[in-house]
Amino acid sequence: MSDLLRILENEVQIAALVFLAVVYTTRLIWLFRFRTRKERTIAAGRASAGAGYSLMNVAMPWAMESTRKRPGLYAQFVFFHLGVATAITATFIIPYAPGLFKVRAVVFLFQIVIAAAFLVGLLRLVRRLTNPVLRQISSPDDYFSLILLVLWFAAGMLAVPNEPERTEWPLILFFGLTAFFLVYVPFSKICHYLYYPFTRFYLGRSLGHRGAFPPAGTKRPEARRAGENQA
Amino acid sequence: MKRRKTTPSGVVEAPLDPRTQVRAKEEGLPSVNEGRLRTYEPGDNVRRFLGLLSSRITRSLAVSLTACVHCGLCAESCHYFLARPDDPTMTPVWKADQIRKIFKRHVDWTGRVAPWWVKAGGPRDDEDLNRLKNIVFGSCSACRRCTYNCPMGVDTGLLVRFTRGLLTELGIVPEGVFNVSRDQWETGNQMAVTETDYLETLEWMRDEVRTELGTDAIDIPVDRQGADILYTINPREIKFDPRSIAHAAKIFHTAGESWTLPNWGWDQTNFGLFSGDDKLGAYVARNVYEAAERLRTKRIVISECGHGYRSTRWEGYTWAGYDQKLPTESVVVTLKRYLEDGRIAVDRTRNTEPVTFHDSCNIARSGDLVEEPRDVLRRVCTDFREMFPNRRENFCCTGGGGLLSMAEYRPLRLEVAKIKADQLRATGAELVCTMCHNCVDGLNDVIKHYKLPMRVVQVLELVSNALVVPGTNERTKHRL
Amino acid sequence: MAHIEIEGRRIEVNEEGFLAHPEEWTEETARLLAKAEEGLDGLTAEHWAVVKFIRDYYLEKNLAPMVRKMCQATGFPLMKIYDLFPSGPAKGACKVAGLPKPDGCV
Repeated sequence: MSDLLRILENEVQIAALVFLAVVYTTRLIWLFRFRTRKERTIAAGRASAGAGYSLMNVAMPWAMESTRKRPGLYAQFVFFHLGVATAITATFIIPYAPGLFKVRAVVFLFQIVIAAAFLVGLLRLVRRLTNPVLRQISSPDDYFSLILLVLWFAAGMLAVPNEPERTEWPLILFFGLTAFFLVYVPFSKICHYLYYPFTRFYLGRSLGHRGAFPPAGTKRPEARRAGENQA
Repeated sequence: MKRRKTTPSGVVEAPLDPRTQVRAKEEGLPSVNEGRLRTYEPGDNVRRFLGLLSSRITRSLAVSLTACVHCGLCAESCHYFLARPDDPTMTPVWKADQIRKIFKRHVDWTGRVAPWWVKAGGPRDDEDLNRLKNIVFGSCSACRRCTYNCPMGVDTGLLVRFTRGLLTELGIVPEGVFNVSRDQWETGNQMAVTETDYLETLEWMRDEVRTELGTDAIDIPVDRQGADILYTINPREIKFDPRSIAHAAKIFHTAGESWTLPNWGWDQTNFGLFSGDDKLGAYVARNVYEAAERLRTKRIVISECGHGYRSTRWEGYTWAGYDQKLPTESVVVTLKRYLEDGRIAVDRTRNTEPVTFHDSCNIARSGDLVEEPRDVLRRVCTDFREMFPNRRENFCCTGGGGLLSMAEYRPLRLEVAKIKADQLRATGAELVCTMCHNCVDGLNDVIKHYKLPMRVVQVLELVSNALVVPGTNERTKHRL
Repeated sequence: MAHIEIEGRRIEVNEEGFLAHPEEWTEETARLLAKAEEGLDGLTAEHWAVVKFIRDYYLEKNLAPMVRKMCQATGFPLMKIYDLFPSGPAKGACKVAGLPKPDGCV
């Protein structure tokens, strides 16, 4: 293994991760500087149940018309993000638990999942380029982030066999892109996952308080009527 | 890559019309002089807009502004886009992006450093702000259907109201919004009904119900201390359609209810919800809360009104900084209780026409009532049928968000009402019932424009029609 | 500006079918508006009683009268107004009387 790859897999990754953590912390502090408004009404439902339901939305494609009517897009979402999680896992396995990738079945599994994400990434790119709605709203960042991820998936597929003695360049590409990502993510749309818990929590809490989340049938009957549950 | 096709934009190009604003200034209205009602002043509006923007953002707004991933899933939840599928400017995401790009350019970090990279920018001048006005007032009824369909939980409905509020502060608003806000600031009710007119109409309705029921025992009390219920209404009921007041009086009388209307603070509607002006919202809502306090009533009951219900039951307490003490409910919930407790008897065979129910956005999506009106309708009608989609997934009547008061956006509103018309037609119902006065007018417009064989009714009317009044159990007696 | 064309006449109205120039109202306009907007073939003496009251009230106070006033002046019960003008007092009667659109939730 070359020095370049060794440094890339270790020191560079750690430095990039630390940078990511610092920027995220700054971002969260920034977010928490915005005020929230005090809820002054008597509840018709439970805010906590609403927040929980809202946060689970990601795993409930039937909960929204938009995903219910577009199961294909939901499936794409699942495969794409599974691929992301898998590829991130690979960036830790290769330097810290390389033994795992000596098992051919594990390598194959990782390659399949990342390949699926790669294909979905291409589909998403085509959709973004051809769908007039998406074209109208897409920014350079939207395209760049997606293209970068597609490349990263491709590099990931080639890198997971982890055979630097045969050829190093897939690993160099994969870890180089990873490091770049870690630095770029906080400034791009990719960091949406950082916001997801917040948007869904605040929306769910507010709608839960009003008894709109979770939908009827799953909430406690005694909390049904507006203001009736006053002590 | 294919060349970008130019797509037609449905965004209405309505210039700012400040005529009534100028008149209000000339007349020296107290609300204008005291700075509560803002009028348009040419000058550094962009700077003021940006100042307001950064000072008013709350955390839930901030996350809704940052979290959008441009996935486009919201598009098909919006009746504007469904009716104009070739027009990307009708999607919730595009509309929200018009405020988002300003936020990115001036508040968020990447946009401040590299605006072109994330499409951040604007506004440059009052022209841009006016265009923003036409988007957030003119091509969105703030129904929040997209909010419920966003995987990320972005509350576009909230963003639209927030943006409206910033523009209202600069007087960059549709004329109708200004006029109604002016009346509500100046007279405490959105139709400038005077106290004399208010009291006379109530007496008139009292006499009508007395004649109908053949008893003088019935009353429409005003400012009765210690009544159990404070009943609040929509000024439209006083000014143009007081039948619903008579229906309510008849039912309250039959149920043996102890109730009163207030002399002041009777308007439960609230244009602050539509204009995005929390100050107006606070003023109007507080009038109602203080009336209940003054008369020491045990409960506030809101007549059938979607935005009034949302404003008085939910948002108003926050706007006014007033901790809710009294149960605050829709009259439909009151009716449901009467029926459940056997306080009124009904004969459902008096309502035999097929009835469908239209959920008001402000009640179903931004409030808590979806099953209650259905429970009532099933008890007072013989043929109740759902429309699809329904409940929290129902489509807006197309007149929501104050759009009924903005004539300039009416052609677009009626064009996209095709979605609503198809939905109504598919029910095969002869009556469409809704618990919102605004929806009554919105639906009437849709019915008239698309020539649907339907009539709009409200829950009170159907209950009143089915009501069995002891001693006067003859159908011919029901005149109102 | 929108307009309606009826019986060879062209009437300028706003987006909601209310007269664009309320000062240009004539009895002929009323008849045409009633036909185009309310589907009424000809106006009866009862229609005219309501319309003329609204018109006079508007000219005097620059304001649409409450339905209470319409009933008081004409002696009609409330339901009669709805029988005469299917779209009701505001969108029906006031429109025929050539008033601008009343403000608010109507």
